[in-house]
Amino acid sequence: MLCLVAWIIFGILGIFSVRYRSLAKESFDCVFRRLLFKKCESNFNEKMKSSIIGNLMKFSPRTARGVYKNYEIFSWIFVILFVVSMVWGAVGAYNLIVYDNCAGPNADPDQCIFTPEEEIVSCGDPLCESGHCEKCGDECDCGDCSG
Amino acid sequence: MNVEKIRNEFPILKKNIIYFDNACMPLRPRCVIDKINEYYSEYPSCAGRSHHKLGIRLTKEVNMARDSIKKLIGAKKSEEIIFTKNATEAINLIAHSLKFNVVVTSDREHNSNLLPWQKFEHRVVKSNLDNTFNLDDFSEKVVGADLVSIVYTSNLDGYTLPVREIIEIAHNNGALVLLDAAQTVPNKKIDVRKLDVDFLVFSGHKMLGPTGIGVLYGKENLLNDLNPFILGGETVYDSTYDSFKLEKLPHKFEAGLQNYAGIVGLGAAAKFLMKVGLDNIEKHEKMLKQHIDVEGLEIIGYLGESGIFNFNIPGLNSHEVAMMLDSSKNIMVRSGAHCLHSWFNSKNIKGSVRASFYLYNTIEEVKLFNEELKKLKKLVK
Repeated sequence: MLCLVAWIIFGILGIFSVRYRSLAKESFDCVFRRLLFKKCESNFNEKMKSSIIGNLMKFSPRTARGVYKNYEIFSWIFVILFVVSMVWGAVGAYNLIVYDNCAGPNADPDQCIFTPEEEIVSCGDPLCESGHCEKCGDECDCGDCSG
Repeated sequence: MNVEKIRNEFPILKKNIIYFDNACMPLRPRCVIDKINEYYSEYPSCAGRSHHKLGIRLTKEVNMARDSIKKLIGAKKSEEIIFTKNATEAINLIAHSLKFNVVVTSDREHNSNLLPWQKFEHRVVKSNLDNTFNLDDFSEKVVGADLVSIVYTSNLDGYTLPVREIIEIAHNNGALVLLDAAQTVPNKKIDVRKLDVDFLVFSGHKMLGPTGIGVLYGKENLLNDLNPFILGGETVYDSTYDSFKLEKLPHKFEAGLQNYAGIVGLGAAAKFLMKVGLDNIEKHEKMLKQHIDVEGLEIIGYLGESGIFNFNIPGLNSHEVAMMLDSSKNIMVRSGAHCLHSWFNSKNIKGSVRASFYLYNTIEEVKLFNEELKKLKKLVK
């Protein structure tokens, strides 16, 4: 099932580099066949599996064995995590666009690093005169120059 | 044979790879690479027809390459050496230049030596149960045959067929013999005159030479009787609007401008092999094969002494094994049906892993290979 993740990742990378386009195509073929409950014919899954296991074998044959034996389970976990994080990301993006806060309309803006910072009116700003902000009505922190 | 010294001749080995895919295509020594470069940088011209310094130099180099090949296989004359694109083209040249009624092959032929014969009445000699050649079956099937086209050393498992007996039996029955020696010429000393073989084909890329170059050897009288199946420049010395006069050997078979870089590179490869000594190479490969740990492996084909080792790890797909060896330790092997689909289909085997050793491989590499195989076996335990 990792081909689904691969398809999305290689699809995005393929926009910028030709190198990944063939991989995106291969993984799409695999996804398409899986959706039709057919066997993936392009060896794409095999290639990914072998590459992952082969690289793990360099460091820990035992881990490699564990992953090999439970590859399908790991694949599903990975796919579920990927889909969940994608959905989460999409909701965050929606909130950011609509409410200026990716954590949601009623959440603390500090929870979202993308929340635009409030405009600070500086002493040099023509809106800040004699320590009073004409724009928001609050006092501005003009420090020494306020005098 | 000084393996360390030989390894220094192969620039790509500095990339820390373990290359065991030599039956498909070995690596190239510096002298071959330099020779190809020399052609393009010093005499990038036309051989045989251009009467200027570059053309004359190239003609000389091509003739020298032909001579080297003649020496390598023990041919009588350089004219008996025809340059082709590869062994496949050489076999097709014979298949299209002569009409045969009955052709005999073994059951372990590469697609190249199987498909061209399927248009004729084609008899297949079944191997013995231990995957050795069945001379009795052959003796029966060769009766009435025109041609025996058979592999010399199998790319499946490195098994060398008893070609002396095969040739003798074939000739006694009035059949010509073509040997597919693509896996033999790079690894074993051969002498076409002693063998009394009629045609012998091999590829340059399997004997340290460049790709896109191969050789057809044929006895002079037989080649003279053959008509080329590709016609064009160089194959004739005169033509009118309705007729032509064929050139002499070997040119009548070498139509069009040739792969000169390939030819001179092949000549350099032949010289390199003769310098190292084919007997030494054969011994070295046998020695390496003895270090293979076969425990827990399913042997495919015949487990002989040669440098080709074909196997499967029960429970693992052959492509998986090859890719994992590559990812984990840069060990490069071949997987699949090795262009022997007919053999694999007849045995109902999906494919296998093939490790093939050559002159630059070392015992340490084989030991590391064994260790990695052990780890792979544990994956499925």
